Amino acid sequence: MRDILTIAVHEIFRLARRWRWVNGGAGLSFKLRRLAPWFFILGVLLASGYLLAGRMPSLRDIPRLRFSVLGFGLYRVGVSGDLPRYLTPEGVLDGRFQVQRVTEEEGAERLRNEMIDVWIDGRQVYHRQDQRSLVCMGALRRYMQEQEILRIGNEHPPEIAFPLRVGVTYLAPGQPLPSGEGAMVDEIVIPSLMSPPTPFVEVIISLLFILPVTFISIFFTSSFMEEKLNRRLSILLSAPITPLQIILGKMIPYAIFALIAVAVIAVLTGGNVFEALLIFTPTTLFIFAIYLMVPLFYRTFKDTTFISMLVTTLTTAFMVAPAMFADAALPGGMSDLAYLSPLTLAVKMLRGESYTWRQYLFPALPMAAIFGFSMYAGTRLINEEFLMGYRPMTRKIKDAVYLMMEREHPYRSVALLSLLIIPMVYLLQLIILAFSTNLPPSLMLASLLLAAAFIEEVAKSIGIVVWIERGLATTARQVFGLAFLSGLGFLIGEKGLLLLSISQVSQTALGEAILSGGFLLIPLAVHTLFTALAGLLRLKTRLPYMVILILVTVLHSMYNFLLLRGAL
Amino acid sequence: MRAMWAVMKRELNAVLRDRTMIIAILIQLFIASFSSALLIGLLSLYDPDSAGIYANIRFPVALVRPQGGNSEIITADMEALSRLLSERGLRPQTFSSLEQALQAMDNGQVRAILAPPADQEMTQSVEPPGISISPGEMRLYLPGERALASVILNILQRPLQAYENLLRERRGAPVHYTNLPGRPPTTYEFIYTVIIPILMLFPAFVAGGMTVDSLAEEVENHTLETLLSAPLTLHTVVWGKAAAALSLAVIQCIAWLGLLRLNGVTVQAAPLVLLLALISSGILSMGAAITALVFRDRERSQFVFSLSLLAASGLSIGLGVSPVTALARLSSGSYPTPWLFVRDMTIFGGALIMVVYALERVIDQVGRR
Repeated sequence: MRDILTIAVHEIFRLARRWRWVNGGAGLSFKLRRLAPWFFILGVLLASGYLLAGRMPSLRDIPRLRFSVLGFGLYRVGVSGDLPRYLTPEGVLDGRFQVQRVTEEEGAERLRNEMIDVWIDGRQVYHRQDQRSLVCMGALRRYMQEQEILRIGNEHPPEIAFPLRVGVTYLAPGQPLPSGEGAMVDEIVIPSLMSPPTPFVEVIISLLFILPVTFISIFFTSSFMEEKLNRRLSILLSAPITPLQIILGKMIPYAIFALIAVAVIAVLTGGNVFEALLIFTPTTLFIFAIYLMVPLFYRTFKDTTFISMLVTTLTTAFMVAPAMFADAALPGGMSDLAYLSPLTLAVKMLRGESYTWRQYLFPALPMAAIFGFSMYAGTRLINEEFLMGYRPMTRKIKDAVYLMMEREHPYRSVALLSLLIIPMVYLLQLIILAFSTNLPPSLMLASLLLAAAFIEEVAKSIGIVVWIERGLATTARQVFGLAFLSGLGFLIGEKGLLLLSISQVSQTALGEAILSGGFLLIPLAVHTLFTALAGLLRLKTRLPYMVILILVTVLHSMYNFLLLRGAL
Repeated sequence: MRAMWAVMKRELNAVLRDRTMIIAILIQLFIASFSSALLIGLLSLYDPDSAGIYANIRFPVALVRPQGGNSEIITADMEALSRLLSERGLRPQTFSSLEQALQAMDNGQVRAILAPPADQEMTQSVEPPGISISPGEMRLYLPGERALASVILNILQRPLQAYENLLRERRGAPVHYTNLPGRPPTTYEFIYTVIIPILMLFPAFVAGGMTVDSLAEEVENHTLETLLSAPLTLHTVVWGKAAAALSLAVIQCIAWLGLLRLNGVTVQAAPLVLLLALISSGILSMGAAITALVFRDRERSQFVFSLSLLAASGLSIGLGVSPVTALARLSSGSYPTPWLFVRDMTIFGGALIMVVYALERVIDQVGRR
């Protein structure tokens, strides 16, 4: 513990020296003072730009910015005559519409000359037949409908403004319905309040929490890169401290900064500080875990930057996507899948809604698991040879896999590797899903199946192939045993994740079905078979690993395809 | 000039060798495809009917005629409901009792049952959605399979809303602007306000990041001294690197515009869009060169660069002269007035000139030492 603290303090001093908060910085000779006049000129220019450009949106404008930050002023609407306030230039509540007052002659003429897209004259709405005008109508229609409902709700008592309530009963098949007057119903809907709003604004705000964490992790990555390049890391490694202590010591200051930033943002956005910390601590660990891997694998700065960019994009996408569906009316309990992302919890927090402990653990556990895996990998990989070796990526990955396993326990290692790699497999498959939507539907399913099978096969066989290449697995029997354990590990991880998400989603019946014999034994046999095939081919033939993988992938996807066809 | 060309070529070779570009392009492809996948998902889950996803789904619906009450009003109600359902393309069938309708549903003749109350005029109070319902209210029976039920409920939403408006009007609270035509705007907005700005500006970010890294790497690895001892000036080195980053950005933008066209997206004023993308790339890569020269190490340069990028984009959106908005307006052809366009271009051009001048000054000062 004391060693960790020493390294942490050292890390803070390193950072301070870099930024010249304390004396003794190395060789920074350019004076920031010389830039001062430039900052002044820039300030003057910005101020005059502000005066030129007109108003700066204030906090009160936020509802107006809803859905429209990007499409600000996309549609041009001319209005004339007597209008409700929400259609006047001063009162319009949606930034997408530039509303201008026109006279009746001007309105008709501008609409014809395509200077406006829609002309509203009192209760009459005029448009052209081209795409622009029709799309603008579509956007206006939505906006006006919403505003009309609000107006009616404000002007009239509820029983007049919302005269229709519909009691919905879901009929279980073959079951007589509970009839009678004033009966219980499953749900009550009010037609004009049926579609839930997308939690767009809340998701954007909760991204604010992630932003500083990502920024701070740039420092964390840089610190490793620097010490890796100037070989200070090697010196540290020869000292009597463990790699885990080094990683933790370097991580702790940044993690504390990140959590302070989260707390500050919670205060600024009016959230609960304790709750925000609870939600974002696993997320912070997850982001740090991923950023720990970046400098371990890469050497040049450009690589690091672009890999970091890629990682940031992917993690953001991974977090935003489920959160967007926080309120979606998904059938059954499927809407709980939104809890894959911690941002969903943040959305609930910002809205003052509650969630259960299980819903909290749903994103937190996999993230913590990835953090744990990455810490383990980090401690195994931080050694002179691996860090300084400049090798092709595929080779580097194989080396990493070799280092992560224990020579003395080949069987246990392979099974554990297949099990622990599951969260990453799952992340990768999600990414492929996003890519595949670009393809035409006929190709989409096929490519999805192929890619998913490929990732699975890599995950299961890489450990075994590494053993074979290092000459540690030499007989077919060994390969078969390893394949069985790898398949078993993978299956446990896969079904465990599925079970976690499904039990979140619906009743235990499905969970039991998953654990029942047929559902388990056949996949285990199939997993083992394909992995053993890959291992045996590697052992007995001189085929390159890539070729073997492609072969096994094709077989695996054919099996999956047949399975799907049978099921449908 | 030839020396600068040599630096530029060296830089481009390094980029191609590192496969950095491939990652950068992959990121852009991912962002574009991911956001469109997200959009489709959002549309189909939040508002499937207006997105036209269920447009071809049609099914028979049972209408149960209530017993008792004022028969004239009931007949009018039943006719209104049945007309509204038919307008959506559904096939209303009238039943005289709930039992018959339930039987029809069991036999698969109808998919849903609507049972309006005898007397709609009865006053009700709107409480927070509870589970018990008074006899004076409408009932809806749906199949027990939730996935199917939610689709049916979604399709029934429009007719029910229209019926609700009818009731409002009857009670003296008419809703205006109903029944407007129009096309769903989401895809259109998405292409012009998200996809095109992303594809045109991301190459600029990449150019900036590349310049910072490339310069910081030369400084930290002490290769800059070697370069400068050759017959190269700091000017040539910096401008060569910036030019390399810039040319890559332009190639990417042109490629994206071509791909968009192949996908049937019309970009209005494409040359101007490209010009704006070029100006943004110029500002970012030269701004990046300034940061790298001032701070010299990658850690601080990247941090300061990203932070100022963030501040600048926030500020420009706040001031209303953001290149994002300008690109959206330009590519969709919706600049309100030509003079506004001239104003925006003057501001961006002015910023570019300022950055170029600042870079020259910084190079002079750094070079003097």
